[in-house]
Amino acid sequence: MSNLHRGILVFSEARETCLELLGKAHEVAARLGMPVTVALLGERVAAEAVDLGTWGADQVYTVENPRLERFDAHPYTDALTGLIDQVKPKLILFGATKRGFELAPRVAARLGAACVSACVDFDIAPGTHEIEARAMIYTGLGIAKYRVKKSIAVLIVPPKVFVKRALNDRKAEIVPYKPKLGEPKLEILEVRPQMAAGTRLEDARVVVDVGQGFRQKEDLAIAQELADLLGGQVSCTRPISSERGWLPEWLGLSGRKVSPRLCITLGVAGAIQHMVGIRGSEVIVAVDNSPDSAMLVQADYGIIDDLYKFVPALMQVLKTRQLRAA
Amino acid sequence: MKIAACIKYSLDVSEVKVDASTKQIRLAGVPKKLGNIDRNVLETAATLKETYGGTVHLFTFGPPEAKNILKEALGVNADDATLILEPSGEALDPGATVAVLAAALKKLGSFDVIVCGEASDDGFTYQVGPRLAETLGMPQITYARKITIENGSILAERDWGEGAELVKAPLPVLLTVTEETNTPRRPTLMDLVKAKKKPLVEWQLEKDLGISPQTLQDASGLQLLATEGIVVERKQILLKDKPTADLASELVDLLVQENLLEG
Repeated sequence: MSNLHRGILVFSEARETCLELLGKAHEVAARLGMPVTVALLGERVAAEAVDLGTWGADQVYTVENPRLERFDAHPYTDALTGLIDQVKPKLILFGATKRGFELAPRVAARLGAACVSACVDFDIAPGTHEIEARAMIYTGLGIAKYRVKKSIAVLIVPPKVFVKRALNDRKAEIVPYKPKLGEPKLEILEVRPQMAAGTRLEDARVVVDVGQGFRQKEDLAIAQELADLLGGQVSCTRPISSERGWLPEWLGLSGRKVSPRLCITLGVAGAIQHMVGIRGSEVIVAVDNSPDSAMLVQADYGIIDDLYKFVPALMQVLKTRQLRAA
Repeated sequence: MKIAACIKYSLDVSEVKVDASTKQIRLAGVPKKLGNIDRNVLETAATLKETYGGTVHLFTFGPPEAKNILKEALGVNADDATLILEPSGEALDPGATVAVLAAALKKLGSFDVIVCGEASDDGFTYQVGPRLAETLGMPQITYARKITIENGSILAERDWGEGAELVKAPLPVLLTVTEETNTPRRPTLMDLVKAKKKPLVEWQLEKDLGISPQTLQDASGLQLLATEGIVVERKQILLKDKPTADLASELVDLLVQENLLEG
């Protein structure tokens, strides 16, 4: 079986992530003379296929079916495993989105494939075509290097790990494909949208990151004021968003990951699951009134003070000296 | 209704440290415990039992010491627990865990609802729930909350982060739950005393489930070659023990020096 399988298949319902995966897939596959295929699934997807050659795809398989209109792991698994049977890739890359994490393990289980979560790098050895993958372990404390023991591997890659690359004048072959799909198992009765965040946190040059040191939602006004003064944005830890519902999204292992020039944490505890979201920052300033806070030793500048006193004082200095973010 | 809850004897990741000079991940002496998310799993199972009737059966694949967390977990209104003993010293991946859990669940008959955490506290692979559902040929509702049962179907909100969907699936179904699904109860002293009398059985892989060491290795798709800790160098300069206004100006001076602020 291993000799029959070649090339890389890419799937992510999140387009930006899909393009990032394509960038890396093209780099690895081109060196080995292997093809890169993208799978596009949905009710109508042909329009999205047009430019994928530019981003590194050799082929785009489109599977259009009303059963794929809404995300249901069952018909999606049918579609992908059907397509994999046809394309016979050696590696299948998924984006580590919530949907990707739901689908990829199911696909791996059906294929009997190896499956790597939080994959941050991979390579296929020339000649032997052995796969090596590196992945985050212990919620981001370390990296493990694995050798894949199976002939096929499913790799689940977080957004922003790889870089998308536009290539000149490339066109992918577009192949409409109709695998056999089972009935959806879930009935989707209602869609309940949540308030969306205004701008992308990933683009912020300054992030003011708030944690459970804040006593009530109204108090976030001082964090917002500081962020506004520095032309930045306010972010938070998981409990602030998910338990208290003060902000729509959080930073961390299970949330978004940012790499601003300056990150100022206010009353953030410094758990590794959260640090994964902010450790790409160039400089971290932590404000906490407890000298024992784990956040203070994970920052460049740790201020032991009451954030409710410190933040207004900091804003006063910035205003008096007429300073802004460089 | 027969409910299964799969829980893990997890490393307390907050106690894992990385040696800054060697980049070694220090695991020696790191305590293991019932995972935080597993408390949400237990709460989900117990609430379903209390609302709709039935029994709750706990499953853990782990070392003999995992018995301790099962004793505690039985206090959350569970009926019995099965510990499948993990062979020591083997590096296993979620594929192996799934093969073991699937065999154990099948041995105890069919379940109407299987509850798993979205991911474990230490592994965080998000793989076990969906892989187990696929292996058992069951539908799954991931990131489930507000779970109710009506006429043989389960209804739940599936949380996508950017929004949620209310979905319905026929039983049997596998649910994965998150920290946000519910607020776990703390078993009372009385609950824990009662839990001591509940059945807690230990199974051997080969003898009780017919899983040979080779089968287990084959179910594991990855060979671990090396690990390395991530060390992020930070200056760790502390500003303290001064009036707030002085601390603020001192920080601003430092940020100007770093070229992060300009006039």
